[in-house]
Parts: sequence; structure tokens; C-alpha cells
Amino acid sequence: MSEIVLETEGLTKYYGDSLAVDHLDLEIPRGCICGFVGRNGAGKTTAIKLMLGLLEPTAGSSRLLGCDSSALTPAIRQRIGYVTEGHRLFRWMSIAGLEKFQRAFFPKQWDDKFFTDMIEYFDLPKKKKIKHLSNGQRAQVSLALALAPNPELLIMDDPTLGLDAAIRRQFLEGMIGLIMREGRTVLFSSHILGDVERVSERIVVIDKGILRAYCSLEQFQEAVKKVIFTFADSVPNEVNIDGLLHCKRIEKQLELTLVGTDDEQIAEWAKSAGAENHTIVKMSLEDQFIEFTAPANQKRLFKWEER
Amino acid sequence: MPLWIQILPGSDEPIYVQVTEQISEAIARGQLASGDKLPAVRKLASELVINPNTVARAYSRLEQAGLVTTKTGSGTFVSDPKMRRSDAADINMLAERMDTLITRGLNLGMGEQDLIRLFESRLTKFSKKSNKRKEEK
Amino acid sequence: MRFSSLLHKEFRECLPWMLLAAILFVAVTSVLFQTETYSENNSYRFSRLSPGTVISSYKITFYPAMSETGPWLFFLSIGLGLALGVRQFWIPNFTGTWPFLLHRSVSRNTILAAKLTAASIAFACSIVPIWVGIYWYATRPEVFAVPPTFRFFIEGWIFITLGLVTYLGAGLSGLSTAKWYTTKIFGLAFASLIIITTFSQRSLVWVLTLIAVSAAILLSRIFDTFLRREF
Repeated sequence: MSEIVLETEGLTKYYGDSLAVDHLDLEIPRGCICGFVGRNGAGKTTAIKLMLGLLEPTAGSSRLLGCDSSALTPAIRQRIGYVTEGHRLFRWMSIAGLEKFQRAFFPKQWDDKFFTDMIEYFDLPKKKKIKHLSNGQRAQVSLALALAPNPELLIMDDPTLGLDAAIRRQFLEGMIGLIMREGRTVLFSSHILGDVERVSERIVVIDKGILRAYCSLEQFQEAVKKVIFTFADSVPNEVNIDGLLHCKRIEKQLELTLVGTDDEQIAEWAKSAGAENHTIVKMSLEDQFIEFTAPANQKRLFKWEER
Repeated sequence: MPLWIQILPGSDEPIYVQVTEQISEAIARGQLASGDKLPAVRKLASELVINPNTVARAYSRLEQAGLVTTKTGSGTFVSDPKMRRSDAADINMLAERMDTLITRGLNLGMGEQDLIRLFESRLTKFSKKSNKRKEEK
Repeated sequence: MRFSSLLHKEFRECLPWMLLAAILFVAVTSVLFQTETYSENNSYRFSRLSPGTVISSYKITFYPAMSETGPWLFFLSIGLGLALGVRQFWIPNFTGTWPFLLHRSVSRNTILAAKLTAASIAFACSIVPIWVGIYWYATRPEVFAVPPTFRFFIEGWIFITLGLVTYLGAGLSGLSTAKWYTTKIFGLAFASLIIITTFSQRSLVWVLTLIAVSAAILLSRIFDTFLRREF
């Protein structure tokens, strides 16, 4: 096992009475891109802010590059890149001004040429003030600022929120470019499952502050599946199978969403329940995620009614 | 040697499967001839904007299937068709897949001859001669 | 390098307020000194209308002009303090720039020190030199028959330091994440209390001690809050 660069142990955060992050345990090894997914308000931003020492945990701890998050030293911070939620930069500064500001905190490691090339590639005039940039352009500046110091660990809080496909692709390219260098690690949160699927090696799924899954993307994609069983006469009332997430009955069919149940177990259950046949339906990552994080027995918001 | 791979995130096939299948198809169609070199893992990853590990996984699947061989230090090459192993299980799986297709065809009301003609017409797409002709044009 | 980069950023954010205070102070002072010439004419006409009434034109003109700069200095100093406190410690809550600012390869103390230094420079470069300049001008022998006293000069300094106390109070209130009706109000309320107390005191030594102690209290509260606060 390679070195762990980001580690949380029972990381918990309450805001007053409401629980934002509940006993988060993570170990992210050096050299991977880790996608951090969860629905709105699942606690992603809180978790990231806890990791960066911007919030104080109610319980538990986290460590970045071996240093406790609540006491990150300047030397450690210098090795970490952080793209804040919404790319909030100083509005009155020009791109060049911001470049100068940021560069001062990364002496030796700041790559002037890389930054300039990136800004030119994005076709942004360096003299332009941040407040005169569009959301997408501000995001591009924020990306260039985070990548130019060549950080060992890059943490991005929903960097592609509300951005168009082209700029989102640039963020993905940036992550891939960084990871190609030796020993770089990226953790990014996102709502866009397609982006996560493209670049992530591992995914973290949290829901209502609780860690639901932390595994390789491939494992997740293999684990969550939908199976449709067809019965000759009636669907059994009791469904007793390992890893059952959701269960839906449609006339003589039974649709189960399962997690971590292997095909043999499914076949065995089909036999014991007396199903005529069963098909395993392939699911996209997005469907898997929606099924995986949906509360059990959730009713459909809109229902097609036959007249 | 052009290699055109399209990634569709959000499809029900994982990305490494998409890469594996598209390269397999390119080999089957003759777009990649035996001895051709596949792009380096990192190069392909940055071109497709996908994780390098995904490309590596696809390459190792291709290698397991005997379609490519990796020579340490020089890269991954399309292997000689004569050298490819195909065991009974593989052929069996192929036969099963064909069964599903034949069932569909028959359900659509196609006759035996129709199916054979259809099979042949699809096969020409993979014939190396026709691909070469296309390139000349 | 890092500190100067922070200081540059903070000072640039203070700059508009600093300039505004300086321009207003210069403008107000020159208008008051204009009024002085105007009242001189007035007194001249007055003396022409009623000959025999001896009025020292110096006496009439000196006091309105010089003493009226005092309240202006007070309001401008308090205003500058409020503006800087709000700019440095409240606005980032709304613009959401705290996380970007705090993820620096320096300690939080350094970030706060840069803010405080920038605000001190803003005071030192605007109303302070103007006040010193006014005093210097007014004490020149040919300007006023009765030059302003040194006490008058020190009273101006008290107004300036009260501006700094207001700055610290506004900063502390801005940093506090508590509710208004609980501890958030403390900073501003404490600063107001000090200002009121100062006005009821005659002894300069007492007043200066009070200001120094209260500034020290606010400063330690600000450091404490800034280091512990969640952003």
C-alpha cells in the first residue's frame, strides 16, 4: 500500500443540533484522483473545510500529508492546492494582481510559464479584473492559480458547478495533467457523475453526512445493480436477499436494486423464490448513484397515470 | 495509424470497457494491423481525458484477450492473429451471443436466408479489403 | 515576501476609504479656513458699521476655524475606523473570500497582522499627517494671534486613537459568528462605551490610559477570535 496523503478518522461535525458530517473514515493514497460525490447538502463542503482546517471538528480528526488539519503548518499548506467553492476570488484584483498575490505563497514551486500559458489558452487578458469576468472565466483563473504551484495534493470543492461542458473538460484535463506528474493526488467533489466517471480512480459517496461508499470506481460500478425477476403467477411478499436497497413490484415482475450481491446469490434467490427468469440490467453510474442514495421506499414525485 | 475512440460517460458500460471494445473493433476491422503500436497509456489518457489507470486497465484486458502484447520498454503492440489464443469457452460465449441475435431476427419475422444475407452484409464492414478501399478513396 | 503580499492586498482594500477620509478632511479644513477669512471681512464690516467697538479680528476668527476642525476630525476618524473594520472583517463573509485567503502558506496570525498593519498605515497616511499639518500651520506665528495649545493637538490625537478603537470594535463584531443580541454586539458596544467615557473625562493622562487599555483588550479578543473562528 502506498503512502496515505489524506486521512480522516471518525471525522464528525455538528452545526448546532444538525449533523453535517458523521464519522467519516477515509484513507486516500498518493497518486490517485478521487471523486467525492453526494447530493446537495450531503456534507461535502463541510468535510472539505474540515480537512483544510477551516472548520473545527466536533469529534474525530483528519490529517493532510501527515499533518493534523487543525494545525496545518505553512510548510504543509504550501504543498496543498485548494479550489474553493464558487471560485471566490478577490473581485477588485486583476488576473495579473492575483497571480502576483498567489505566487508569493509558493516560492520556488510556482510555474510562471504554466500559468501564463494557461491564461493565454483560456484567452483571458491578464489586466482584466476578476469582477469583470464571467463565472466560467473566474473558474478558469481559479484553476490556473491552483495548478501553477504544482501542488502535491489538490482539493477542489465542486469546481465545475454551473460551468459549461468546455470549461468542465478543461478542469478534467487539468486534473489528468496533474496526476501524470509523479506522486500527485486529487480529491474533487462534484455533482456531475459523468465527470467523476471519466477521471476518478476512486469514489467517495456520502449521503446526509454519512459515508456510504469508498472504493474504486470499478468496484462501485460492479456492485450496484438492478435485477428484474419475472414470476409465473404472483410476486412473493417477502424479499429476503443480501444487499437489498430498493424493491419495486410491477404486476408479475419484481425489480430489485442490489448492492454487492454477486450473480450466483441472485440466481440462487431467484430459484428459491420461484422466479421464472431474471435479467440483470446494466446501469449507468448516474443511475447507480441515484438508486444508491435514494431513501428506501421513496415515492415517485411525478407518476404517470393511465386514463 | 488513426485510432479514434469515443468516450461516452453516463453510458451503462464502464469507460475501460468502452476503450477495450473500441480497440478490439478497430483490430477486427483491420484499422489496426498486427504489429501496429498502440498509443502510450499516458498519451491516450490525456487525449481522451480519462484516468490513465482506466487506459492501463483496458490494455491489460486486451492483453488477456490476446489481442495485444506488451513489450517492456517499447510499448503495446497489436499481436499476430495466428498467435491469438481462442479457447472453447470464448467460442461458446460467442455462440450464445449469436443465439440471442438469431432469436431477435426470427421474432422480427426474418427467414433463414434473410439472416444469412444480413450477416454477410455486416461482415463486409469488417473485411480488410473494403477498409483499404475506403482509405484509398 | 508573503507578509508584504498580504499587506499589499489589505492596504489596497483600505485605500479607497483612506483617500476618502483624507480628501474629506482636507476639504472640510480648507472650507473652515475659508470661513475664517469670510468672518474677518464680516468683523471688518461690523466694525465699520459701529465704530468704536473694538473687536480683535484674530480672536473672533481663530476659535471658530480651529475648534471646528475638532468635531470633524472626530467624525472622520470614527468613520474611517468603522469603514476599515467593516471592509476587513465583515465584507469577506459576504464575498466568500475567507477560504481563499486563509489557505495561505502562512499562519493565521500573519494574515491578521497584515490586516491590522494595513489599517494602521491607512490612519497614519491620511488623517494623522493632515492633523499634524493643521497644527503646524496654525502654530506658525503669522497665522493666529493666539496659536492653538498643545492640549488642543493632543485632543486631536485622542480622536484619532478613538478611531482605531472603533476599527477594532467593528472588526471584532464582524468576526464574531454569534447572534447580534448576544456577543456579536460586544465589539461595537465596547468601543462606543469607551468613546462616551472619554468625553466625560478631563484628565488627558486618564483618557490615554483608558484608550490604551481598551485597545489592548479589543486586540487580544480579535486575535483570539480570529485564531479560533470557523470559516
